[in-house]
Amino acid sequence: MEERKIRVKINGRDCELSVKPNELLLNVLRNKLGLCGTKYGCGTGDCGACTVLVNNEPKLSCLTLAVTVDGAEITTIEGLATDGKLHPIQDAFVKNGAIQCGFCIPGIIIMAKALLDENPHPTDEEIKEALKGHLCRCTGYINIIKAIKAASMAMSKA
Amino acid sequence: MATQYHTVGKPSIRKDAIPKATGQEKFTCDVVIPGMLYGRILRSKYPHARIKRIDTSKAEAMGAICITFEDVPKAKYNERIVSVPSATFKDRTVLTNKPLHVGEAIAAVAAETEEKAEKALRLIEVEYEPLEPVFDPIAAMKPGKPSLHDSIILQDKVVEIKNNIAAKVEISEGDVEKGFREADIVIEGTARTSRVYHTQLETKSAVVVPEPNGGVTIWTTTQTIHNCRILIGEIFGIPLNKVNVKKISLGGSFGSSIQMNSVLPITVALALKAKRPVKMCTTREEDMYDHCRYPMILKYKLGAKKDGRLVAGEMEVIVDIGAHNIQAYPLLGCTAGWLVSLYKMPNLKFVGKAVYTNKAPACAMQGFGNPQVNFIAQTMMNEVAEKLGLDPIEVELKNYVGLGDVFWGQGPTVRSVIRSCGVEELIKKGAEMIGWKNRGRPQDKKGDIVRGIGMARGFHTSSAGGPMAGEAVDFSGAMIKINEDGTVDVIAPLQDMGGGALEAGLKIVAETLGVPLDCVELAPTDTCNSVYDVCLHATRGVYAGGGTLKKVAEQVRQKLLEFASRILGVYPHALKIRPDENLKQGVIYAEGISGKEITVKEVAATARNKNWGTIAAVDSLRQGQCPPAYTVYFVEVEVNKRTGEVKPVRAVIGADCGTVIDPIYAVAQIHGSFYRGLSYVLCEDTKYKRRTGELTNKGFLSGYNILKAEDMPNPDDIQVFFANTYEETGPFGAKGIGEAAINPVPAVVANAIYNAIGVWIREMPITPEKVLKALKEKGGN
Repeated sequence: MEERKIRVKINGRDCELSVKPNELLLNVLRNKLGLCGTKYGCGTGDCGACTVLVNNEPKLSCLTLAVTVDGAEITTIEGLATDGKLHPIQDAFVKNGAIQCGFCIPGIIIMAKALLDENPHPTDEEIKEALKGHLCRCTGYINIIKAIKAASMAMSKA
Repeated sequence: MATQYHTVGKPSIRKDAIPKATGQEKFTCDVVIPGMLYGRILRSKYPHARIKRIDTSKAEAMGAICITFEDVPKAKYNERIVSVPSATFKDRTVLTNKPLHVGEAIAAVAAETEEKAEKALRLIEVEYEPLEPVFDPIAAMKPGKPSLHDSIILQDKVVEIKNNIAAKVEISEGDVEKGFREADIVIEGTARTSRVYHTQLETKSAVVVPEPNGGVTIWTTTQTIHNCRILIGEIFGIPLNKVNVKKISLGGSFGSSIQMNSVLPITVALALKAKRPVKMCTTREEDMYDHCRYPMILKYKLGAKKDGRLVAGEMEVIVDIGAHNIQAYPLLGCTAGWLVSLYKMPNLKFVGKAVYTNKAPACAMQGFGNPQVNFIAQTMMNEVAEKLGLDPIEVELKNYVGLGDVFWGQGPTVRSVIRSCGVEELIKKGAEMIGWKNRGRPQDKKGDIVRGIGMARGFHTSSAGGPMAGEAVDFSGAMIKINEDGTVDVIAPLQDMGGGALEAGLKIVAETLGVPLDCVELAPTDTCNSVYDVCLHATRGVYAGGGTLKKVAEQVRQKLLEFASRILGVYPHALKIRPDENLKQGVIYAEGISGKEITVKEVAATARNKNWGTIAAVDSLRQGQCPPAYTVYFVEVEVNKRTGEVKPVRAVIGADCGTVIDPIYAVAQIHGSFYRGLSYVLCEDTKYKRRTGELTNKGFLSGYNILKAEDMPNPDDIQVFFANTYEETGPFGAKGIGEAAINPVPAVVANAIYNAIGVWIREMPITPEKVLKALKEKGGN
């Protein structure tokens, strides 16, 4: 299959990539750019582990063809911390015991960012609603919800 | 108790939290080796078949490396070697020519890209001779049914398999007939528990590099790097010093990697044939056909006196183990043990049978038979209490196995005496917190939406240790060394499934050495640079793994103090160590003598400069006990009598894990276990199509019912508290917690449903359909 050139801004940096028309964004991020924080969990959009931001919208990279993000700005888990400083959501996850095996966490933190950008003070129910498409098998979501609330507090103070 | 410690008992941030929060943590699927090929597996379309012909020539013509049954070693093995050889049943090979379930591996390929490997897979021609499958364990035992395994290997002897019965365990204590005659009340019941898929987020994967010396270097999803090494060495005839399995983070497991995952030996075979590194990451569909929890049919009869004291119990268990016997024999022994250790029962009979069927093989999953037994035993005990007009709490307190009693930690061969027990404290405090006395009676609850409160208690062993060698191997090993700048390397092959066992281990090391936690790091560890550790299972991480680290750290401390003594001129036994957070160092000092102080760094540097050697130790530890960790659950559910939906709304959870090493992660483990238990009892199950033997969801998560965040009670409605206990045989008084926290969850939900609507439902998962059916059978509302 013929490759096509796409231009994207990934975690603030411009990139030009050659991709096949059937290539998934997940595989481009992981295999071509070495951004392995974005995880494969199911390949069918059921677990949310592959969630990234495309133009600030959460998207399942396992169901997104790379050619469709031409011209877009993409944020992956690797793009959240700036100058070695954790994003407040990452900091809250670390401090609230929200991370166990950690495999689902990149996708959930990305979703939490999308949520808090849109709704800075979500209720428990709103957080649960945002986590609908995410599977975490370790935490029972309890400390994840607590961490998102703590991040919401920290971000409103900042 | 914990206040005397500087690190143990205090909350800390686990070392892997930041790498995991920033996407930097590496898992097997993230390993990249220059020049590596990508592997894919061809899997059986049929639940039971013989491969008449398999032709890989077209795939090979396009440049793919291919392997079939003809290319792999023929000696049978068992992928789990936690048990001693006399209890390890060998029934499989790396690839098969007689697949026993849909999804069983029959061939594999490796190629430059995943796409090319996928293409090669499609070019392999297979001619199957379909055989009659059998899916129901009871039918499978009947004469004339197709046999899955005619024979297996046990300790190098061929053992014939009859009626598909893979293992049988019978245990009898006292005289049950006499016991039932003496009982004032006898009740009988049957429970069915589900075939839960582990749903760990990371699918099973392996990366294998063939080395010039004929050996292999391996990264894989595993709970035990050393057992993977031994197995690969045995299967492929490679000396163990040439098999190096590297420890890497595991994206969840819950038991599904207690065995060497099937993907590993296949990847090794491909890499050896290709003479190139091979990476194989399985898809979710493949993973769902690879492992599940042991489902059981449990028939139980119990007899009690009027005051609620148990006098006899008889249990018959049939386990549907699927296509391979990974650990059915130890499972049956453990299952009997969990019953024996739940209630003091003077007369007991247990018969367990494990039966082969043409389904994905079942293996360990959190609790290992314990939630299944707990489900029937605790719901029927509740029923006895209700029938006798007694408070279920009172009945539990009369019958529980506690302080001074004998506990079966891992079946009949692993027993020890209980030295710490917080059951009574947990039950009484929990009852108070939930408002047990005001829970009401089902017959008084009106309306379509009613609430009920249930109680159940459980436990799990901490390790498979014990005074005598049982049928399970159980010891850990570690090396600890102090570096020239006063920092500490911990080389521990123990795995961490995510629960934080290793973080607890580091805290135990920091506490023992008297250095700040920041000074202690886990060193990259593999099987060549570390001593043996059996496996992370049986809730042994903190108690046995942590116990080992404490033992080794004590030896390091001794050496450190001897060296400091030479420098300071103070007897080593008069020296103490305190962590100094400003210096970021441990400081060794003689109490009350000024000027007699030196940092760990200065001692280590002096030892180097004066050629005294490295301050280090390496050792192994077998725990001589298997103390139970206890949990007590009080859960409130809301039942909608029109729709049959059950929603958990509130929980009070008490846990006795001895000294709590880290309050944040101990609670987090309980949260997770509560969640998995709820999902287990309310919705999870893998079902098979009767005609084709395929999973009804075809292996897609979209067709697998599982609880999500929205189904959980709010964080403020889940309260967790700990008993004030100290386990004298554990590191700083600690026991385990992990599996204890899931075991009573199915039962507590069923008991709460009874309290809401007055019916006992003992068939998992308790779906809305089953609730409605039970209500209908009860007759009206």
